[in-house]
Formats: sequence, C-alpha cells, structure tokens
Amino acid sequence: MNRTALVLSLAGIAVLLVPALFGSFAQYLVLNILLLALFALSFNLLFGTTGLLSFGQAAFYAGGAYVAGLLLRARVPILPAVIIGALAAALMAAVVGAFCVRHTRVYFSMLTLAFGMFVYAIVWKWSDVTGGDDGLIGIPRGRLGLAGPLDPNLGPLSRYYVFAAVLVFASVAILYRLSTSPFGLTLRSIRENAERAEFSGIRVRRTIFIAFVVAGLFAGLAGALLAPLEQTVSPSAAHWTKSAEPVMATLIGGPFAFTGPIVGAVVYLGLKELIVRFTEYWLLVFGLVLLTTVLAFRGGLVGALETLARKAR
Amino acid sequence: MLLFQGLVGLTEAMYLWLVAAGLSLIFGVMRVLNFAHGSLYMLGAYFSYAVLRAAGGNFWIALLVGPLLVAAVGWLLEFGFLRRVYRIDEAFQLLLTFSFVLIFDDLVKLVFGPVYQSPPTPKELSGAVFVAGSILPAYHLFILGVGAAVGVGLWLLLERTRFGLIVRATAADREMARALGVRSSRLFTWVFIFGAWLAGLGGALSIPVRAISPGMGELIIIEAFVVVVLGGLGSLRGAFLGAVVIGLLHAYGLLYLPVFELALAYVVMAAVLIVRPRGFFGVREA
Amino acid sequence: MSTRSRTTRRGFLKASAFALAGLGIAPRALAAPKLNLKKPIKIGCQTILSGPLGGYGEFMRKGALLAMEEINAQGGIGGSPIEVNFRDEELKVDVGVKNARYFVDDWGADFLIGIDSSAVALAVGEIMPSLNRILIVTHGATEKYNEDLVYKKKIRQCFRISVPVYQDGIASAMVAKDFPVKKWATISPDYEYGKTSWKMFRSTLKALKPDVEFVGESFAKFGTVDFSSHISKVMAAGPEAIFSTEWGGEAVTMIKQAKLFKVFDQTKAFMSPMGAAMDVLQGLGPDYPDGAWASGRYYFLYPESAENRRFVEAFRKKWNSYPSYVSETSYAALYAIKKAVEKAKTLDIDHVIEALEGLEVSRPAGPCVIRKEDHQAVYTVPWGRIRHDPKYPMPILGDLRVIPADQYYRKPPFPPVEA
Repeated sequence: MNRTALVLSLAGIAVLLVPALFGSFAQYLVLNILLLALFALSFNLLFGTTGLLSFGQAAFYAGGAYVAGLLLRARVPILPAVIIGALAAALMAAVVGAFCVRHTRVYFSMLTLAFGMFVYAIVWKWSDVTGGDDGLIGIPRGRLGLAGPLDPNLGPLSRYYVFAAVLVFASVAILYRLSTSPFGLTLRSIRENAERAEFSGIRVRRTIFIAFVVAGLFAGLAGALLAPLEQTVSPSAAHWTKSAEPVMATLIGGPFAFTGPIVGAVVYLGLKELIVRFTEYWLLVFGLVLLTTVLAFRGGLVGALETLARKAR
Repeated sequence: MLLFQGLVGLTEAMYLWLVAAGLSLIFGVMRVLNFAHGSLYMLGAYFSYAVLRAAGGNFWIALLVGPLLVAAVGWLLEFGFLRRVYRIDEAFQLLLTFSFVLIFDDLVKLVFGPVYQSPPTPKELSGAVFVAGSILPAYHLFILGVGAAVGVGLWLLLERTRFGLIVRATAADREMARALGVRSSRLFTWVFIFGAWLAGLGGALSIPVRAISPGMGELIIIEAFVVVVLGGLGSLRGAFLGAVVIGLLHAYGLLYLPVFELALAYVVMAAVLIVRPRGFFGVREA
Repeated sequence: MSTRSRTTRRGFLKASAFALAGLGIAPRALAAPKLNLKKPIKIGCQTILSGPLGGYGEFMRKGALLAMEEINAQGGIGGSPIEVNFRDEELKVDVGVKNARYFVDDWGADFLIGIDSSAVALAVGEIMPSLNRILIVTHGATEKYNEDLVYKKKIRQCFRISVPVYQDGIASAMVAKDFPVKKWATISPDYEYGKTSWKMFRSTLKALKPDVEFVGESFAKFGTVDFSSHISKVMAAGPEAIFSTEWGGEAVTMIKQAKLFKVFDQTKAFMSPMGAAMDVLQGLGPDYPDGAWASGRYYFLYPESAENRRFVEAFRKKWNSYPSYVSETSYAALYAIKKAVEKAKTLDIDHVIEALEGLEVSRPAGPCVIRKEDHQAVYTVPWGRIRHDPKYPMPILGDLRVIPADQYYRKPPFPPVEA
C-alpha cells in the first residue's frame, strides 16, 4: 500500500473514532471538514491536473443540496435523496461544461463564475420552489432508505455522521483511483502541453468535459450530504464565496498532491473555528495566514512537507 | 424617459469604468488578476474621508490626496509582496491578492470602526439639472465628466507617450519587450501604482454619494472583473465598452426585466463569451 | 461622533464574565435572590460583526455588555453571575447554525440571543428543539419566526424580544392613511423581508384608504451601491410618496442619492421603517431630509420615562455613543432572561419557558408583554419625522405618532398575508 493510501486509511479510522470520543459539536465540525474536503477534492480533479480553475463549483454543490433537500422534504429516504442530488448536480455540470470547456484559463474561470452566480440568482428568485432567500428550512433527517428490515433512523447526529463519513470515504477512494488511473494521467498531460496531447490522439475537450462532470458529481454529493446535516439549505450555498472555499482549501493544502485539498480543508475550517473563539478580527488573522502560506509554502502545505521530507532523507 | 434612464445607466457605467480601468491595465501588463482591487477602491474611500475631515470638509483636497495615498499602498503591495509571486502559478497570485482583501477589511474596521460612515455631500455638487425630461443630479454629470476624462487621458497616455508605448509593448509580447530592453520589474511597479491610483480615485469619488463601510470592495470587484473579461483581457477599450454595456443594460433591464437584476452582468458576460470567446476586443489567450 | 471607545476594543477579544460595574448608578433597587443555580450562567449571542453591516453587531454587543455588567453588579441571576459570548453571524445561514451548535454543544450556553438576519433566525429556530435551549431573537424580523415556527409548528424554545415586520408594514400604513397622498411607490431590498413588508403596507393601507394607488416599485439586490436606476425608474411613475425598507448602509446610500435626485422635493412623504436606527441617523447626519418619516425597533427618546433616560445615560457613559435599537433589544433580552429565571426559580427549560410566556418585561422601550401564543414581545415603537436639533449630534424624530402595539400586531390564527 503506498503512502497516500496509508495516510488516508489512518485518517479514515481516526474520523470514525470521533463520535466515540467527542461530543456533538466536534462531530459536526469534523463532518463539515469532510464535506469541504470532498468538495475541494472534486475541484482539484480539474485544477490539480489540467490547471483549469473553476470559480463556479458552488453551482453544483448547491444543486445537489437543493435537490436532496427538496426530496427529503417530500419524505424520500436519505440514501436515494442524496444520490439523486449528486446525479442532478452531474447533469448540471454536463450542461455548464458543454459551454465552458471550449475556453481556457481566465475565460474559463470567469465563465464558470458566471454560471455559478446565475444558479445563485435562480435559487434566490425562484422562491416558490427554493424558498428564496429564506432557504429550504425544516429538512427532516429520517430513515436511511435501505431495502429490507434493517433501515436505521439517522436522526441522531452520530449515526448520520457514520453514514456521511462512509460515503465521503468511498468518494475519496474513487477519486484517488481516478487520479492514478490512465484517465488521471491523460488529464495531467493536458496541463503539460495541451497541443501535444491533442497531437498524440487525446481528445482534449472531451477529456476535460468528463472531468468537469465528475467534479460536478462529487461537488453535488458534498452538497447533498449537507442538506440533512444542517437541515437547512440557503442561497449562499451557490454564491461565489462558497465556490472560493474549495479553491482556498486546495491552494492552502497544495494542488499537486492528492491529499493536498484534504489537508487544506482541515486547516481552513479548523483554523477559522479556532481563530473565531479568540477574536472578532478573524478576517485579519486568516488573511495573514493565507499570506504567509502563499509566500512561504510554494505548492501548499503538503508540497512544503514533501520538500522537507525529501531534504531530510 | 428612456433617454434619461440611459443617461443614468451611463453614470453607473463610469464608476465601473474607473475601477475596471486599473484592473484591466494591471492584468494586461502583469497578467495578475488583482482581487484586491476592490480593497484599493475601499481604501480610496476611507483615506479620502479621513483627509476630508482633516481638511475641514474640502472635498477637492480629499479627491487629490486620497488616491495618492492609495497609490502609495499599491506600491507597498507590489514591491513588498506581489513581486515575489510573479513566477509562481496564477492561482497563487489570486490567493495572495485575496488575502489582502481579508486583511484590509479588518484593518479598516480596526481603524475606522465597523459602522458605515458618510460625509455630507459637498454643496457645490448637490445641485441638479433638468435634462432629457427629468432631474439629473449635478454630481452625476461630474462623474460622467471624470469618467470621460479618464478615458481620454488613458488613451493619450497609451498612444502618445513613451511610457504608454512600453506598456503596450509589454502587454502585447512580454518576451519581446524584455529582449528589447524593457525593465519589466520597474514597469510592473509603475503600472500597479497607477492602477491603484485609479481604483483609489473611484473610491474617493464615491464618498459623497455612497456609504463607506468595511467590505465595500467586495460589492464592486466581481462586477469589475466581469466588465474586464467582457471587454477582453488586456483591452482598455474593451473595458470601457464593457462598463457602458453593463451600465446601460442594468438601467434598461430594470425597466423591462427587473427579475434578472441579480444575474444580469453574469448572463451578459456568459452570452458574450460564448459567442466571442475572447470578449469584445480580447486579443490573446488568457 | 465616535461610536466606539478605544478602551473597550481590547475587551472585545473575549467577552469576559466578571466585568465589574463601576457605573455607580444602581439600575434596580432589588438585589437578586439566591437560587443556587450553576455558575456562571452562559448566554451565547450571535450578530453581524463583519462586512458592510458590521455596525449592527457593534451596537448589539454594546447593549448586551451593558446589561451583563449591570446584572452582575446586582449579583447576577439568582446569585449566579452571567457570561455573554459573541460570535459573528456573517449574515450566512450555515455560519449561524454552526454558531448556535458551538454555543450549546461546545461552550455550554444556557440561553441564546441575537441574530440580525431573518433567514438565520428561521434556520436556527428550526434546530432549537434538538439543541433544547431558549433562543431570544433580538433583531431578525420575519413574521414567519413567530407565526410559523412558534405558533404553527409549536417550537416552544423560540422567542423574540424585538418588534417584527408588523412595525414596518402595518403600523406604517396606519400612520400613512392620514397623509394627503394617493400614489405610493417603493424602493426596497430584493428579498423576502422587503417584499413582505411592502405587501403588508399595501394591503393595510388599501383597507384604510381605498382610493390609494401603488404606482411603482423597484427592488434592489443586496449590495447595491448605486440606486440611481431604481430611483429614476420609480420617479418616472409619478409617485407622491415613497416607502422604503432599505436598512443599514444601504439606507444611507439610497437616501443620499434620492436627495440628489430631488426626490424629497418632488414627493410629499417618505417613509423608512428602519430609518431611525442610530447608525442611519448618524450616517446621514445633516443630509437626512427634514420631515422624512422613520421608525425602528426602539427609539431612544421614547418613551419619556425615567427608565429609558437612565438606560440612555448609562449607555452613553459607558460607550460614548447613543444606543441603537439593537442595543436596547439585546439589553432587554438579558433582563427578560433574568426575570424569567428568577420567577421560575430554576434553569429547567420548561419552567423558564412557562415563566417567559406572558411575562411583563420592564425595559427602556416601555411596557412590554411576551405573548403566550407566539412568544412575541409586544411593545410600542413610535413613528416620527426627522428633524435636526442642535442639542443632539445626529438628527432626531419629532412629531411622534404612537399607535399602541396591539392595534397593529397581527394576531393568531395569522391568516396569510394578502397583497
């Protein structure tokens, strides 16, 4: 088992131990970190490989959240609601991706931003369906939806925690396999030199499109898992400030290692939660942390750690 | 009425233009997406407000000194921080400028307090004129004038001066410009300072008519980005046209399709990019 | 005028429990009875502390801290000192929910107060049964909080100490019916609250004055800094009066710009339901047009009672500033908690809820009762006309119109709001 897989497995075990050792706020916080980690990993599927920075991933995150939320309110059990939410997000990503993959770099980023904010506007204005700026409130958290006699009620937080964590782990495993597979290699070759990749027979645009849809799928899954957790979904889930979260987490942790976005998510949410307990000026402290990270740690924290490890050998 | 609404839209466009101009210039030459541009606009507002109070309410002194102070901050940012990250990934540069946004938001809150401030509108500019069948504030005409002057001034600067020549050359082909002896590091500093000054000017001009508060930069930066991209990266002409289009569409959109107000700028940009992938006048790959 | 005090800035790093009084003014004659409750009693308060609306949080915190100091100087609640902790709501629902969970699950809060945003109030209200603590909202004004959450869904943990949107949409119409004005228009924020208050205003006014017409409307998105297009659009419809629920910094911006467009010269009346907030009064200063109608959730010069005067004086002495309405509501919330707990003689939530229902709260804003049916505090806030008085550093309200609260508060069973 290689190092990354080992680290991930250990982290997974640690995560599953949390409900046994800590109270509900800790579970809540860790779950938020897991969801952001998934969100960031999905973002980095595109960014870490092809260098395309999508500023609109929150569109799919929110899509997953709202669809799942609406289904849950209609008394659909959790598992199908979440999965359908994720698939709906993937569908959205297919539509948006069809427009966006033709563009590069800054134009790509701005176009994804535009679509993201377009979804935000729709969610805000279509109050009959989405609840407008009040959002979807009172989303129930009930049965899991397994066929057969053993269908647990996920109302208690610790049970939902286990369910969501398992789903996140499965997704991380899939994303890991993808990134080390020939598909992942193809994506990386596009970053190296898109022209050359095209000449060697790779259909660049189609590959990027597939990656975009997969990224949207997992972003949607993260959002869909959020709906039963918070029991509320609001338009801010689609805003560009939400899209900025996986970007920041990835850049902090480092986009070139698979675990980078995960580390980044931990630092981003964990640090913010810590700072907020001591001062109201969390923007200042957080900004300084970001500043130092960029100036001191090229390639993010994981990159820095790997450099250190290499030097130590 | 329609003409009047258009006039109002044009004034909105001028504010956007002032912020977008500096952003466009900085990107065109330095290839940096300066997220902190909105913060520079905010600093322009705060500094001018402070100068206004110190100068006993003289708006013109505030207008003169405020943006210069912002230019100084711009120098600090470029020289102290930005130039260290030119060689690394663009995304990290974005993160760096974003960190400035967070830092400045809290710094102004620390220094000026979290409550919004607003100086009284200067008497000379509180009047109104009757035009196109309605009443237009004199201040709006003033802004139209300033926006146009900046447009003309920038055009003259770029087309008729040596500095402008160097800027255009570097924007067109950095390698070639360097090969011909252009010291890009010094150029970058000057361009950033100038861009900051423009943003500061925008902020200074806003204080008689808009509340000043921490976080006000975020309210305009995204729209400024949209304008710059819409016009085509690296094209000042495009930024001007983009601002006008957005301003007019907003003004007319309110009359006919108010439900789109929230998403208007984004929809327009997306539509233009789909048809013209490089914006109005964009000449290069981003 | 300065709205912050340098010495207290350091104190903001973490709201501490034992801020000793030093005021020298005893607010209440009675000392707290000794009830052997847990020490300290913790109260979590969330409010907007950052961004363009950060001024609200500042004022809310100041009011809460003043109450905390005073209460602790008298021996606390039932002999237990109180400790208030503040967190930034950021106007975001997920942050609001996280703050509430942090306060209860991690910090050990016994009560929750605060919340500026209606959306956050609704979202946090929904999870109160699972957190099982009392929440007293001090600003968020949506009618859905008391009508849906408390009355219909029977979420007993939710309370609100501040006036809801009835003040903005109904009381306003009752005052407006006497204006010599037939054509109204609005420039308001584009979200539920802006739309609902305009709907309430329209339906109430139409019933009171059938010949009234609503000729124009323009809703501005959050973060609008340039209202020019909205103003010109609305004025083109030829209104005689404008109703606007813009608040905070946006109210300041909108009114300034409207003044430049000579809106106030061309119309006979202007009504701003939150225009008498201290931050708006200060922000506009001499630019606030005389005669504009404004209100809020508390106005510092009403009522002219000893209690109100004492509160304003104590606030000014401590913070070198006049109190905004969120200062009074957070202040009142803490005193309501004190009174309810001391009446119930326990912290057990069911007993405190019972004590709060029907409680008569004595507060600077005047006589106030917390309704049993929907846990909404009922008290009267006046409407008034802006005027500039040299005695005060900011504009004040004159020509006060006082309509008793029970005349304009909606009552159960709360029929749907018709346009």
